[in-house]
Amino acid sequence: MKLLWAVGALLLSCWQASASTAPNIITEPTEVSNQTSAVLRCNLTESNLPIKGSHWVHNGKVIEDSKSTEASASIVLSLNKITHNSGGKYECVFLTEPEVKQTIEVKTLPHVGAHKHSEHANENDKGVMVCNSHGYPLPTDWTWFKEEEGSQKPIINGTTDKYEIKSTPNKTTLTINDLSMENDIGDYVCSGTNELGTSSDKIHLRVRSRLAALWPFLGIVAEVIILVTIIFIYEKRRKPDEINDDDDSGSAPLKSNSNANHKDKNVRQRNSN
Amino acid sequence: MSPGPADQSERKPLDGGWGWMVVVGAHISIGFAYATPKVLSIFFKEIQEDLGASFSEIALISSIMLAAMYAGGPVSSAMVNRFGSRPVVIVGGLMCGVSMVTASFGTSIIYLYFCIGVIGGCGLSLNLNASLIIISKYFLTKRPLANGLAMAGSPVFLCILAPFNQYLLDNFGWRGSLLILGALMLHCCVAGALMRPVTPPHTPSSCALEMTVEEQPNNGKTRLKRSCMKSAKTFLDLSFFKDRGFVIYLIGNIMFIFGAYAPIVFLTAFAISKGVEEYSAAYLLSIMGFVDMFVRPGTGLIANSKWIRPRIQYFFSFAMVFNGTCHLLCPLIESYAFLVVYAVFFGIGFGMVFALIFECLMDLMGSQRFPRAVGLVTIIECFPMLLGPPAAGLLVDIYGDYRYLFFMCGSVILTGGIFLFVMNIYNYHMLEKEKQNQVRASEVEMKQTPEAAMGHTEPEAQEKNGVLRDTRSESAETPN
Repeated sequence: MKLLWAVGALLLSCWQASASTAPNIITEPTEVSNQTSAVLRCNLTESNLPIKGSHWVHNGKVIEDSKSTEASASIVLSLNKITHNSGGKYECVFLTEPEVKQTIEVKTLPHVGAHKHSEHANENDKGVMVCNSHGYPLPTDWTWFKEEEGSQKPIINGTTDKYEIKSTPNKTTLTINDLSMENDIGDYVCSGTNELGTSSDKIHLRVRSRLAALWPFLGIVAEVIILVTIIFIYEKRRKPDEINDDDDSGSAPLKSNSNANHKDKNVRQRNSN
Repeated sequence: MSPGPADQSERKPLDGGWGWMVVVGAHISIGFAYATPKVLSIFFKEIQEDLGASFSEIALISSIMLAAMYAGGPVSSAMVNRFGSRPVVIVGGLMCGVSMVTASFGTSIIYLYFCIGVIGGCGLSLNLNASLIIISKYFLTKRPLANGLAMAGSPVFLCILAPFNQYLLDNFGWRGSLLILGALMLHCCVAGALMRPVTPPHTPSSCALEMTVEEQPNNGKTRLKRSCMKSAKTFLDLSFFKDRGFVIYLIGNIMFIFGAYAPIVFLTAFAISKGVEEYSAAYLLSIMGFVDMFVRPGTGLIANSKWIRPRIQYFFSFAMVFNGTCHLLCPLIESYAFLVVYAVFFGIGFGMVFALIFECLMDLMGSQRFPRAVGLVTIIECFPMLLGPPAAGLLVDIYGDYRYLFFMCGSVILTGGIFLFVMNIYNYHMLEKEKQNQVRASEVEMKQTPEAAMGHTEPEAQEKNGVLRDTRSESAETPN
């Protein structure tokens, strides 16, 4: 009887001990949504374990400035200006045996940016427009619009062969097949939506005519032909005079000027007889 | 009676008059030859996206073009010797134009390799060699200046074509741009039209250098044709390697070319690694090109002066030493201002060397042997030029630091310059000795045949401060 009671008391105290040493982190706030600034607090409670230090982790990367070796059970991280870059998952980590951590999510509006704001493509070819997104959480929905006369006309994927939309959370691509100069030139808007809201960007598409380069090409070829013709005609006109002059001056030193050379003072080193 | 140096069978160099129009033609031709492989890289990104090739596959286009341009040297020289410069440059221009136009319709990377790389490169090699050869035929006393002006085509066209190509790319896409670029390259045909032949075409001497000229034209025509083919086949004439001056020049040149291009390729990356922002770093190359543009004719002018002309080989080695020293001092630079200063000095050194590089070969070889010599030199230069930048890149990869690249290039060029300087002193000394022996031996002949007395080998004649050549042209000008 006494033995049973002792074992029971031992088990109870063990259970109580393990219950009381389970660490708990209280975070404040539990989540940040659409705020321009915030202060993240983590409080480590119900833990007797020694705290060797603490730090904060943003999206898997340790924030160097937040590293501390103080044995403090309450740590704070201030976010002064929350932009799409500073959104994400923040973890407060206490360096105990073992480590304990808790996550606070900082959510922002998505930041949608076009890869290039002005795109060129050739007629009858295909035109590709790309939009990227940064931030947390990434957009779950992407839509494309074509701006026509001030209003935005949505482009629906799959209804025609002309438009193809491929979307992943951080990138969306609109491919327009068989471009035509009358219909497809204009502004296109890509818009990404996450749980907090929507954000968009605009791309201007320019369609080049297939033969656009042909006219300058023909112009330059014509200019080259004219120049070459002028040069040859000029040469033919002057040729009879030139040939006589050149022959005289060319043959002069070969045959006859030996006597004249002696008089030339510079030649003395050669013609020293 | 032995024929004198083959120069005497041609007319005296014009040294002016239409020669300056020929310089304009050579300027255009050389400009396209050196600038085109570099400016094509502006199109690479779009071509890469369109054809779906990797970056190294695309970059190979430029390499193939440069390799074909240099390797085609002997063929080009052979053709110029046979047909004269004008037809060769016109054909070269047509080849370049056709290559770009056909490339604009390309759908695979292999097609581009063939069109731009092989055909374009061959066209450019025809242009380059023929332009250099015709300058050597048209100029003697003013030849360094003419060379400087013609070689200035390279930076001028680089500065013009680079932004122009960007404009074309934005407005017409890469296909339209290649089409228009092809039309622009047809201006090489205009340049060729300007290169009026010095001697009338189809003279026997233009082909049969070694063959006797006494053969009657009618009977000997077939024999001359066969001899033409023979001399064309032996164009890769290895007898040049027996010429001391040529070998010295070649070794110095190989060392220069090996170290010359790598700093250009890596300058922007080096500047960025020192904390300079991208646009300013790209600006450095433009500064270098801009300085180069003025330094080349300037160097030609200086080299033409009566103090430098006789010692032009030493001036060339000085230019190389200057260039090498610049590179060796570059790793010490930390700030952008000093990088700009380095770019300026680099441009000066680079321009000086390139203005003189072919002038020195002409000086050594004389205008008769120059065509074959330049063909041989360009095909041999192909190897250091293709190996230099990758070797430098390897150094950067191994050590992770650009300093060693600059040390390597600077030391190679510096060594080349010093080598040239020392060996030229030796060479001139040996030539002096040989000339004295020959003068003593031919004194008897001189009494009967003054022309034979003038018949010394080219280097010795040149060695006499170019005065001998000057006097011959002066005496020729005295009216009969």
